[in-house]
Amino acid sequence: MVRQLFNYLKHVADFIDKINQYVGHAVSWLVVFMVLNVFVVVVLRYVFNVGWVWMQELYVWTHAVIFMLGAGYTLLQDGHVRIDLIYRTASERYKAVVNILGCFFFAFPLIYILFTRSYPLAERSFQTLEKSSEAGGIPALFILKAVIPLFCVLFGLQFLSMMIRSFLTLITSTDVPSSLNNNQEQSL
Amino acid sequence: MTEEYLALIMFLVTIVALLLGFPVALTLGGSALLFAFIGEYLDLFNLGLLNVYPLRILGVMKTETLVAVPLFIFMGVMLDRSNLAGDLLDAMGRMFGKLRGGLGVSVLLVGALLAASTGIVGATVVTMGLMSYPVMLRAGYDPKLAAGLICSSGTLGQIIPPSIVLILLADILQGANEQASEIKGDLVPEPITAIDLFAGAFLPGLFLVGLYLCWLVFQAVINPTSCPSLKTDEAQGQVKLSEILRVIFPPLILIVAVLGSILSGIATATESAAVGAVGATFLAMNAGKFNLSILQDVSRETTKISSMVFIILIGASLFSLVFRGLGGDEVVEEFLQNLPGGAFSAMLLVMLVIFFLGFFLDFIEIIFVVVPIVAPTLIALGYSPLWLGVMIGVNLQTSFLTPPFGFALFYLRGVAPAEVQTSMIYKGVIPFIFLQLFALAVFWMFPEIVTWLPGELFKK
Repeated sequence: MVRQLFNYLKHVADFIDKINQYVGHAVSWLVVFMVLNVFVVVVLRYVFNVGWVWMQELYVWTHAVIFMLGAGYTLLQDGHVRIDLIYRTASERYKAVVNILGCFFFAFPLIYILFTRSYPLAERSFQTLEKSSEAGGIPALFILKAVIPLFCVLFGLQFLSMMIRSFLTLITSTDVPSSLNNNQEQSL
Repeated sequence: MTEEYLALIMFLVTIVALLLGFPVALTLGGSALLFAFIGEYLDLFNLGLLNVYPLRILGVMKTETLVAVPLFIFMGVMLDRSNLAGDLLDAMGRMFGKLRGGLGVSVLLVGALLAASTGIVGATVVTMGLMSYPVMLRAGYDPKLAAGLICSSGTLGQIIPPSIVLILLADILQGANEQASEIKGDLVPEPITAIDLFAGAFLPGLFLVGLYLCWLVFQAVINPTSCPSLKTDEAQGQVKLSEILRVIFPPLILIVAVLGSILSGIATATESAAVGAVGATFLAMNAGKFNLSILQDVSRETTKISSMVFIILIGASLFSLVFRGLGGDEVVEEFLQNLPGGAFSAMLLVMLVIFFLGFFLDFIEIIFVVVPIVAPTLIALGYSPLWLGVMIGVNLQTSFLTPPFGFALFYLRGVAPAEVQTSMIYKGVIPFIFLQLFALAVFWMFPEIVTWLPGELFKK
């Protein structure tokens, strides 16, 4: 019975990992798009002496989408920097406790507050189909505003996955790695 | 208890909480949020202030100058993954290797130029350590000298242009500068851009490289066995000078083009960074090292590092919001302005605090958390924002080198061969710490070293 519950939890964590891995890989390709976008703007400006506001806005927004929606993926890969003076050499148990407490006291409240404060903004923006305030900008500011609550969902889910794994590590006294981790970056 | 005390307690609690090891971004934001709730409960804070938080984030998302960060990361990772950086070190080692200390010179120059532009001390020192430490040891270098060279040039790479640390610092100093003129009651000040800071850090960076070089030459003269020349079989490439030049020139031209376009004032940091990113990709193609899987690898790495950086900025902006809401900035301002000894002791105290915090926090956290608190007051006291930025950078770099806590030392220890004792690494960096302190004193006495070039280039 208990074992079944553990298995279920592990499946939930694996499912979350898969979502963020998929999103992370997708937004990573936007990096290439962004590099080319800025480069084209530079060439147009210095060689042909032309430029459009929307093109500049496009790479700024792409950049925002990358670091906001890539946040969950970065967490999955443990890429969010930690002060690891103590953490690096600590036991799996210590790490699990820190991660659970951190999720509970820091991550979840922060993400919850941000979600509840950003969702109404995005909703209002959608209803009025708000445009960029720049003349000649992208006529869809609501997309950028919607990125914030979406970031909260993806990032919050990934912390949930982290918490489940840490919890299972504590209970079963064994490390519970993501089933993705083993062949993650090589296979794809 | 008054609200000001709560702000200071929040600062201290956050530092302690950071040491536990939970991701920095969430610890900063989360602990600030807890204190916002405590403040609300004690009637010292108005939770309504948090309504502007999403707007702050939206502001970060719309800041054009910050786009330079992922572009420079892309360039650095591309040079690294396509092995161009390693080949460059190799070629320079062969070119200078016949001289005593020549390999050291190559490590120093490559490290300072190409030190992976991530803004994370750990990543830079690890890359440099893996790339060059074994080579230097095999060549018979004194492990102490080699360790000192790697740590100092790896950390120096963080504060000489093009570096993402300077881009982030410029963004924060710009805000601080505006607040400072509010304090002084001045009109709107001249904006500070990443380009100004690049220009400001250029001569100090050269000065430090020069100091390291002098030390190396001095060692080569008084203690020739500490940095011997390469044996002929190691320097097998000597026949083909053209071959060596073929490896050295492309990356060098890239760096010169990127720096040149920035310093000449033609292009913004973001524009130069895009040219750098595309240029690095072309170099990789040219060397036959480019394929789709490298591009994928570089893109994913860029996503992760830039997400890491900006999510910290988002966490830290909540920290600043709550710290201000609790009146913490006024306490700091009042305290710094009323110190006996005036502006000088305020600056000295801030430098000491930052040096100490550098034992626990990395560049990015200090820039986002500490600089916004102290910089407005120091600028209002009459210090130039550019000079302040460079002083903070060099100071932190020194902090990262200082035993027993310096970050750079930990990371080099992590990748150094087992036969190198930790005490050797500690002893090796000591001369470099003195060089750093000397440089700090010189920059303090002659601020023109920082402010002259930007003034000359951009007529401020």
